Amino acid sequence: MKDEGREQTLQLFATCLIDLFRPQAAIAAVEVMERRGSTVEFPAAQTCCGQFSYNAGYHREAADLARHWIAVFEAALNNDSHGRIVALSGSCAAMIIKEYPLLLYRDALDRGDSAVEAKRWQERAERVGEQVIEFTEWLAQEKAANLPASLGIGVVYHNGCHMRRMLGITTGPETVLQDYGFSVVPIEDADQCCGFGGTYSMTEWRVSTAVADQKLQALGKAREMGAQCLTSADFGCLGHLGGRLSRRRDPFPVVYIAELIALTDRGQLTVEELQQMAHQKEKS
Amino acid sequence: MAGQLPIDSRPWPVRRDQALQDKTMQQTIQFVTRRVANAKVAAYTAYPEGERLRQRAVGVKRRSVENMEEHLAVFAQQVEAHGGQVHRAKTAADAIRTVLEVAKNHGVQRVIKTKSMVTEELELNRAFESVGIAVRETDLGEYIIQLAHEKPSHILAPAAHKNRAQIEALFDQDAAAYHTEPPASDDILALTQYARRRLREEFLAADMGVTGGNFLVAETGTLVLITNEGNADMVTTLPPILVSVVGVEKIVADWPGLTEVIQQPALSGVGQRLSSYTTMVSGTRGTDQWEGPDEWHVVLLDNGRTLLKDTPFEDVLSCIRCGACLNVCPVFRQVGGHAYGSVYPGPIGIVETPLLTNFEVLPELPSVLCTLCHACGEACPMDIDLPGHIVQLRKIKRDRHMDAAGVTRSYRWWARFWATPHGYRRSIRWARWGQRWFVRHGRIQSAPGLAGGWFNTRDMPPVASPTFHEWWERTRGKGHRS
Repeated sequence: MKDEGREQTLQLFATCLIDLFRPQAAIAAVEVMERRGSTVEFPAAQTCCGQFSYNAGYHREAADLARHWIAVFEAALNNDSHGRIVALSGSCAAMIIKEYPLLLYRDALDRGDSAVEAKRWQERAERVGEQVIEFTEWLAQEKAANLPASLGIGVVYHNGCHMRRMLGITTGPETVLQDYGFSVVPIEDADQCCGFGGTYSMTEWRVSTAVADQKLQALGKAREMGAQCLTSADFGCLGHLGGRLSRRRDPFPVVYIAELIALTDRGQLTVEELQQMAHQKEKS
Repeated sequence: MAGQLPIDSRPWPVRRDQALQDKTMQQTIQFVTRRVANAKVAAYTAYPEGERLRQRAVGVKRRSVENMEEHLAVFAQQVEAHGGQVHRAKTAADAIRTVLEVAKNHGVQRVIKTKSMVTEELELNRAFESVGIAVRETDLGEYIIQLAHEKPSHILAPAAHKNRAQIEALFDQDAAAYHTEPPASDDILALTQYARRRLREEFLAADMGVTGGNFLVAETGTLVLITNEGNADMVTTLPPILVSVVGVEKIVADWPGLTEVIQQPALSGVGQRLSSYTTMVSGTRGTDQWEGPDEWHVVLLDNGRTLLKDTPFEDVLSCIRCGACLNVCPVFRQVGGHAYGSVYPGPIGIVETPLLTNFEVLPELPSVLCTLCHACGEACPMDIDLPGHIVQLRKIKRDRHMDAAGVTRSYRWWARFWATPHGYRRSIRWARWGQRWFVRHGRIQSAPGLAGGWFNTRDMPPVASPTFHEWWERTRGKGHRS
């Protein structure tokens, strides 16, 4: 439950992909959280959750990143058991919540630590995991303040696989979008993967691209039904589909969900604004 | 002892590229998998107690596997008390030897078979043919791929990759070879009628039947086969000799257990509450009975299965071969079954193939055929932790140094840098410096090393200036306040 009126301090976990390739997404998320009365803190020592390595079987390496992540966010939370860590990716949130505990337990044993020590790592991971919340999940708990008149801009929302199947978040983000006046256009085979899969997209790029193209084919039909942009709560999927669209010279706008909300908050939501945001050029 | 599985020995890139170029196969596989996956969801939606029954079935399978040896001993005792003979086969080679010996002892000329993944595992048809015994598959899908000289592309629907036109062409060829009337058209009824007519001749001419088995009931020594075509009734009753080759993990203790699990393969495989036919064999034909074989041999096949007992992978032995994981897999939908190169394709295949063979064959499978989307884990009616196993198998490969040295080095350095904020910042400085050679029209369009593959088909924005870290530092950080 959200404590009405209590100013909450949120620790932002931006994720490496957004940090490096779409900082506007995190900036928008900060804007959205602050507008709703939250204090946002950004533990600057954060890097990456380690999922790339973990999924590829490099668990020792993933565990190094996981231990760093835990140390950074434990320090930021400073023993506040009510503190929240807002993750800008369902997939990274799932990595921390669902995979860290066993990963660190097993890795400790692999390194020759005692079972007691291994258990301690597992519990640390579980504790910090309980304080992680995915961005749209957090947003769904906030009431949509000062709703603008419904503009009915058509969006396709792609729910990331880990968000859907590991965190169990299904219709929440679409409801949020609808609450903010968007018209959510359904997409065929919505529960199908975009083909990204972390480094799988690099090592098995042919298969990965074939899966992405299937998704884009479904997106094509949604565009015919009025979709004007593609969004998601996972930049991994968006970067993949967006990168594929870009290679095909297709300017269809692809934006992170917080960017849409921030634009709505500012009352600047128009299709032109959307397109400009999607193709924002690097500022010098 | 590690098991033996037949493989397509062409390297993965060759198998993959052939599949990705086969648009007919892709269209057919996508149509079929989507249809049955949707049928499964619809069946569960219309069946309120379905989920509870599924969970009970999981319990039965887990307990059966746990006490496998005990149940198998009872099973053997019961079969032998009812005139059958039980053989234990440690490997595929042992099983083939046993089956061929039975055939030889009776001078068998013609064999008819039910659909069976285990006999695919043995490549039993080839073994029969090599000693001059004719084999006929009698499951419609198996019959089609036998005519095409192919292997199953799906564990439940072996000919899922073939469309009607292709099937008609195969039947036309067969009709010419047997000097019989070809199918009237390529509509489903005409094709099925052709197969029915042709197979009837084969049923009546055979002197040995070979089956697999969906379940074995220990307390009565019963073999249970489920089909939608009734061909197992014919195979188990017409020829005088019956040989059933069954994986040891198919055992259940008793009939209450059987009734808990029996609906699961059809329910999750095709969205049907029960398969159309259930065939049971509990012994040879008694003196007062009209039907049943004069001689019945049950070959219990291990072939690497007991290696999984008491390991974190034991749940794999609960697999009921329903194919639900294949049907929802985005990679399977693109490459189809043959690209896997194993008898067992799809998510279960990339887990089971290396496990049964101790990574001796196709070790690349867990790495190259999965995006870790977890759809298989969600679909599996037996709650097999397929995504978790795939990650663990990748880890085992890494631990056994089965990855290319350069790849391992990349992951190691990546983690070394990113495990500290200082290293992370340094890697960004290098990336900015390095990307200058690769940016075209504001996008990165190529790159060296591990990431290179990405850029064959996709762009990526350059590393942002500022990154979010830098933006925060400038606008909110200490730098800003001072």
